[in-house]
Amino acid sequence: MDSRAFRRFRRNKGALVGLFLVIFVTALGLLGPWLAPYDPVEQFTDRLLLANGLPAGPGVEPGHWLGGDILARDELSRLLSGARVSMLVAYLATALAVLIGVALGLLSGYVGGRTDTYLMRLVDVVLSMPFLLIAIVMQRVFDAPGIWTICIVLGVLSWTTLARVTRAKTMEARELDYIQAARALGLRHFRILARHVLPNVVGPIIAIATIMVARMIIAESALSFLNLGVRPPTASWGSMLNESQSLLLGLPRLTVYPALLISMAVFGFNLFGEGLRDAFDPKD
Amino acid sequence: MMQFILQRALWGVLVVMSVVTLVFFLIFVAGDPAVTILGPQARAEQIADFKAKKGLDQPVPEQFLSYLGVMPCIRKDSPKYSSPDGVRGFCGLLQGDLGESYSHHESVANVIGYRLPRTLLLASLAVLFELVIGLTAGIIAALRRNRWSDTAIMFGTFIGISLPTYVTGPIALLLFAFLLGWFPYGGYGVDPLDHIYHALLPALILAIAGAATYARVMRGELIETLRHDHVRTAKAKGMPMPQVIRKHAIRNALLPIATLIGLSLPFLVGGAIITEKIFAWPGLGLLTIESIESLDAPVIMAVVLMFGIAVQVGNLLADIAVAALDPRIRLSD
Repeated sequence: MDSRAFRRFRRNKGALVGLFLVIFVTALGLLGPWLAPYDPVEQFTDRLLLANGLPAGPGVEPGHWLGGDILARDELSRLLSGARVSMLVAYLATALAVLIGVALGLLSGYVGGRTDTYLMRLVDVVLSMPFLLIAIVMQRVFDAPGIWTICIVLGVLSWTTLARVTRAKTMEARELDYIQAARALGLRHFRILARHVLPNVVGPIIAIATIMVARMIIAESALSFLNLGVRPPTASWGSMLNESQSLLLGLPRLTVYPALLISMAVFGFNLFGEGLRDAFDPKD
Repeated sequence: MMQFILQRALWGVLVVMSVVTLVFFLIFVAGDPAVTILGPQARAEQIADFKAKKGLDQPVPEQFLSYLGVMPCIRKDSPKYSSPDGVRGFCGLLQGDLGESYSHHESVANVIGYRLPRTLLLASLAVLFELVIGLTAGIIAALRRNRWSDTAIMFGTFIGISLPTYVTGPIALLLFAFLLGWFPYGGYGVDPLDHIYHALLPALILAIAGAATYARVMRGELIETLRHDHVRTAKAKGMPMPQVIRKHAIRNALLPIATLIGLSLPFLVGGAIITEKIFAWPGLGLLTIESIESLDAPVIMAVVLMFGIAVQVGNLLADIAVAALDPRIRLSD
């Protein structure tokens, strides 16, 4: 990020709030499982289950600040360890999408011609693939528990926007005089792409990737919400939302906690990404 | 223009064909439809019987060719399978036959025909909300730029794009259905007016993200356009401000909105899976997840086909709409 972009970013209050939230939820993801006071899957039927069959509320039992969930597990510990799953999936899936999208976008924009046409039709094919079916297929083919499968599904299906943007920016950059000069000098194509084209496209990519983390958080929770995400008893914010859905009217707090965390994380990444975009590409 | 449309349509057909092919084979990678439909308790002869009836005992490539309609019918429950003179007919896509649903005991065309209008009702209400709320908010924000109402609207749109439907849906149910009792808990209702009443809350939930996006785009475009020469000329010649905005500024700003609406078409036709699930709205979204979970292959194929066509048509319509609204753009390759 050059210094002008950095100054523009620093003046943008919303972007700073976004950055703060991003750091906060990322820290939750990194440290969450260690901060959790209890084992997130242990059932405290003696303490967190009341005589009427409902879990204890916040602050009823000393040490269990947010009370218990439907199965008398410590809610706070589940939220904290769920943060790890949600953030890990979001970051990894984004990384995979960036890797594929940028590589194909650079190739498409730099080489052009028939390669470009075919790659852009491939984008169309991927855009038309039914997300859920792929998720189910992957879950059945790889009999492994969720997290890695989800990362791959999300990453492999969401690189299309990045590829399109990278392609457009690469096509612009290709016409720049110094890149034309580099080509005329006969530099290796890979070197031109890596050293000269990539720096021109990296700004918008970072901005889009940041906003994409927000989308991935939403997508991971959506999959878990539809029972296609991480498998119980593993906690993720989406699966916690799914588990509390049936008790929405009786125990709304179990819906509200994960809902708040998801919204906060998504809000933060959106604000931060938008701030980055404005900083790299000022309209005013 | 005509050549452009034809070329794009041709590519579109190719793209949809490849998606259809991929998905057909993926279904059989995912599992055995006979087993998921009949359940784990089914006896071996029941499964064999089902497979024979549906042609599932044939090799998958042959099933696919028969599904496409380039190979004679292999489904024994189809009237095309046998004729008095012993010549097998064709029962595939080329013949306009989508097949029989495995789990609904009905033709796929009927199942879709039953669900599609419901999804379209929900979708059109949602688009209406998106446009009315989004465009109004965007115009207000642009005209009152950098004042508190602009800031408030922009902040609101940020919240709007950050709230997924599985967060807003349950909370809306809690608030408006449970605590206030203004709306039903979900479902479809009994008569046309009741359908609309039941669709209001899910449509609103569905519209939040779209409205927020439209508001942001509208604001950005309007601010940009208000600086253009032709707007300044119109102001200079004494045209009243509301008319300038209506006639010159908004028209230009509608371009990207038209593109966005075109691109959102597949999601409108494909149904909103999560919203339909939360509000128990029996549309295509719910059908999609049901059919995928049970590997009801003919229904999955039909839904995928519709979604794929909608993506292509939406892209094409967006391009055409932009060309129609902006005389400077001429469509060519």
